[in-house]
Amino acid sequence: MTFTRRDFIKNMALKSAAVAAATMFPGISFSGWNPADLSADSIVWSKTPCRFCGTGCGLLVGVSGEKAVAVKGDPNSSVNKGLCCVKGYHSIQILYGKDRFVTAYVRKDGNLVPTPIQEALDLVAARMKSSIEKNGKNSVAIYGSGQWSIPDGYTASKFFKGCIGTNNVEANARLCMASAVTGCLTTFGLDEPMGCYEDIDNADVFVTWGNNMAEMHPVLFSRMLANKKSKTHVQIIDLTTRFTRSSQAADKSILFNPQSDLAIANAICYEIIKNNEVNQEFISSHVSFHKGKTNIGYGTEDHFAFSDTAESVDFEAYKTFLKDYTPEAAEKISGVPAADIKYLASLYGDPDKKVTSFWTMGMNQHTRGTWINNLVYNIHLLTGKICEPGNSPFSLTGQPSACGTVREVGTMTHKLPHGVVTEEADRKMAAKIWDVPESNIDPKPTYHTVEMFRALDRGEITFMWIQVTNPMVTMPNLRRYRDGAKKEGRFIVVSEIYPTPTSDVADVILPSALWVEREGFFGNSERRTQHNAQLVPKPGEAMCNTWQLIQVARRMGFEKQFPWTQETYIEDIWNEYIRFHDSPKHRMAPYKLLKERSGVQWPFVDGKETRWRYNGKYDPACGSNTFDFYGKPDHRAWIWLRPYEPAAESPDKEYPFWLNTGRVLEHWHTGSMTRRIPILHKAVPESYVEIHPEDAKLLGVVNESKVNIISKRGSVVMKACINGRGNPPRGMVFVPFFDENYLINEVTLDAFCPISKQPDYKKCAVRLEKA
Amino acid sequence: MGKENQRTGKFLFMFAVTITIVLSVIIFQAFSVNTKEMLAKVNNTPVFDFDHNAKQFFETYNETTAAYMNGNSTDRTLEYYYSLRQYPGSPPYIPHDLADKKGYEYQCLSCHERGGFVEAMNRFTPVTPHPQYVSCRQCHMKKVTETLFKENGHVSVQTPKLGRSALPGSPPPIVHSLQMRENCIACHVGPGTVVPIRVEHPMRGNCRQCHVPEETKTLFTRNPM
Repeated sequence: MTFTRRDFIKNMALKSAAVAAATMFPGISFSGWNPADLSADSIVWSKTPCRFCGTGCGLLVGVSGEKAVAVKGDPNSSVNKGLCCVKGYHSIQILYGKDRFVTAYVRKDGNLVPTPIQEALDLVAARMKSSIEKNGKNSVAIYGSGQWSIPDGYTASKFFKGCIGTNNVEANARLCMASAVTGCLTTFGLDEPMGCYEDIDNADVFVTWGNNMAEMHPVLFSRMLANKKSKTHVQIIDLTTRFTRSSQAADKSILFNPQSDLAIANAICYEIIKNNEVNQEFISSHVSFHKGKTNIGYGTEDHFAFSDTAESVDFEAYKTFLKDYTPEAAEKISGVPAADIKYLASLYGDPDKKVTSFWTMGMNQHTRGTWINNLVYNIHLLTGKICEPGNSPFSLTGQPSACGTVREVGTMTHKLPHGVVTEEADRKMAAKIWDVPESNIDPKPTYHTVEMFRALDRGEITFMWIQVTNPMVTMPNLRRYRDGAKKEGRFIVVSEIYPTPTSDVADVILPSALWVEREGFFGNSERRTQHNAQLVPKPGEAMCNTWQLIQVARRMGFEKQFPWTQETYIEDIWNEYIRFHDSPKHRMAPYKLLKERSGVQWPFVDGKETRWRYNGKYDPACGSNTFDFYGKPDHRAWIWLRPYEPAAESPDKEYPFWLNTGRVLEHWHTGSMTRRIPILHKAVPESYVEIHPEDAKLLGVVNESKVNIISKRGSVVMKACINGRGNPPRGMVFVPFFDENYLINEVTLDAFCPISKQPDYKKCAVRLEKA
Repeated sequence: MGKENQRTGKFLFMFAVTITIVLSVIIFQAFSVNTKEMLAKVNNTPVFDFDHNAKQFFETYNETTAAYMNGNSTDRTLEYYYSLRQYPGSPPYIPHDLADKKGYEYQCLSCHERGGFVEAMNRFTPVTPHPQYVSCRQCHMKKVTETLFKENGHVSVQTPKLGRSALPGSPPPIVHSLQMRENCIACHVGPGTVVPIRVEHPMRGNCRQCHVPEETKTLFTRNPM
């Protein structure tokens, strides 16, 4: 293109006009970006899923020249129908933080030194090889993420499980979704929700279980509010341990003691049975009853092992079990008035009301996370309110591809893209598709995430590759695991985009290409797979995570398994991957279609998306026109007898407060991206501790006074926030975990659900001191 | 026209363009003061913003009809809005009579709580964002004279600059303190609003999903361990 004098003058005139306009009309949105971008015809809009949460909003990213300059909601996306949240609208700014890694770094004499990326990749492969030679294949591990694009996770699994032959593959979704997975598997035999977001438009009652959707899933929350406004009879019931923005929007907010959701859920079922509101027809044809182990422990000790058993029981045994959970008995445990429990039961039990339950971390980050997932399914199964529009127990995800990459590709120690490593048939299938000897795939799972970091600390793992996640902020009981990672003889590789406490402990940093700087796929909470094309060039030597893995795998001699070219590898990987799911229960859409559409839901059968699974009306995998829970051998969904058991650590005389941790609307997870977006950092520049006004008074602190939060494991000093946007009850404090300058996870406890192995970040005991 | 004239013309044009740009930038900078910080000083509000009364907003959202939300008949300008205030965020004067023609005193909240058309004033009423405070005249006064007892040297802060979107079309941040002003709908939605601050999408139920406050002016910096 030639740039004439005339163009130049025109351009200058445009620019000065824009700047002048910005000052002359302060009411109009002109200021704050380069006016050159104003000429609308220079912006090209392309679709992509949002980079942040598991809602999976469709975005249109506007690109001018080589830069992403603007974001709109994608009106073609049925997820968000053109609306985003503040993070989505500013998401493209994560590409342009000034401290972006654009070159690799290698630690030399204690310092991280810029190094050409090919040299860094050579070193990674060499160190991996030497670790395997010296300490065996189980001394190398990869720790990935629910932010991994699907090809990243797939390549990691193929490389580590198929080629190297170690099951040391884990992802941070263990910290956020594992209980949802085991909940689905134990109840239905197959993972992921049966419903879809259309449930939000159809429900009459929403019950949110420990779930502050107004801040964590704001776009879905708005959809809920829109339904409520359009119909007048729609109700939102907020079950919570802390008063939040969602509580304020709810018709009724019910505050319960931490951990007591187990008792409440059982009491709801007790009431439903007592009031003859059981859907007899449904349970006699589609439900069976099972009992597992009790007193199952908390996993705080190294080498903790547990496996559950399923004992078949009948409805009578279930009724007997529930006798311990009258609303009055549950009131004693939960602090929720029996009348409120009865009211909840009446909503679930009313045959004329469609009920959708939502939950995320409140139920998943729970030392009985699998159990509480089971118990909420129990309510929906007893009443038959499941698998149809508006009747939906719905587990939401926190990361953009926790479902797509971790749950569907199976990047966890016991999993394969289809099935589990312990099943011979599943290993055979993987070996065939991966073109590796079947003996390569180890039938024994190794470490789940917490145990993997313990193994790193103990020295059983000597090489760890961390991609797209920030465990040095997010691991519970953090100090142990950070000290472990820094020990002599550990080699840590970190694929990252910005400096974080995790890259601070790295021996090699590989600069990653991010989101729309590369092609990829995410999978959201409602089984929707979304493709994104590369829209802008990669900065410097940044490299796609998939390509980093392929490069190292080839250096280790696995050229045959990773033959793809840089032009088509994402498409080639997709075509290979979907062979794992080629059945009506999980068929994925073809590459070409995903490129065209704003997301496609699986199972994708005969050119149609499956909106509600296990219901013959909507799901072609069902044998007949009725319900068919085909994930279980008996074709029934399982109601589980799960009792209330206390938390791993509860407040006592010495540590009298509950510590609860979580997020805020403006920051996403550890803030490594959102804190580099000016508007979001300016809105919430630092973390704080929410304290109830009465507790603050007794402690002698006012807003912004410094408070020391002390547990048996560590302490952190931060500012108090009283009457903030959230308000914990007396005896509880709440801390958002996004701020790397206040590492609240040095205070939290690494207890986990023995079934899902997911840690509980919501409950440990602390004491407070005025600092 | 001679070549020289053309060159002079070009030079003069470039000069004018440069001056325009430089001046604009200077004016632009002057406008970009952090109103929030200034307001914090003026109002003596803590940096942690008031943020615990979202319920009021959600209730208003449910109770307000679509017809009202989409209403847009008003002639209120920002200049008029600020003319009633000593500084941004101060309680405005009462710009109308306190009693009707028959001498019956107006009850403020009968109009200002819900809004709508008021025959006596022949216009749509602005809505108070804090109807929970019922003793209105604790803060809102009627101006009965323009003369002063003694001159006063008070200088107001710059009014907040609107539309400071970070990207083309992205939602602008909240430019004011939220204390007593948490109910977005009251001032940004409906026929009684000031025109430049009325939102184009009143039916969306959770404003702060997209519009966030501004607690600091500084950017994120790391303190590596």
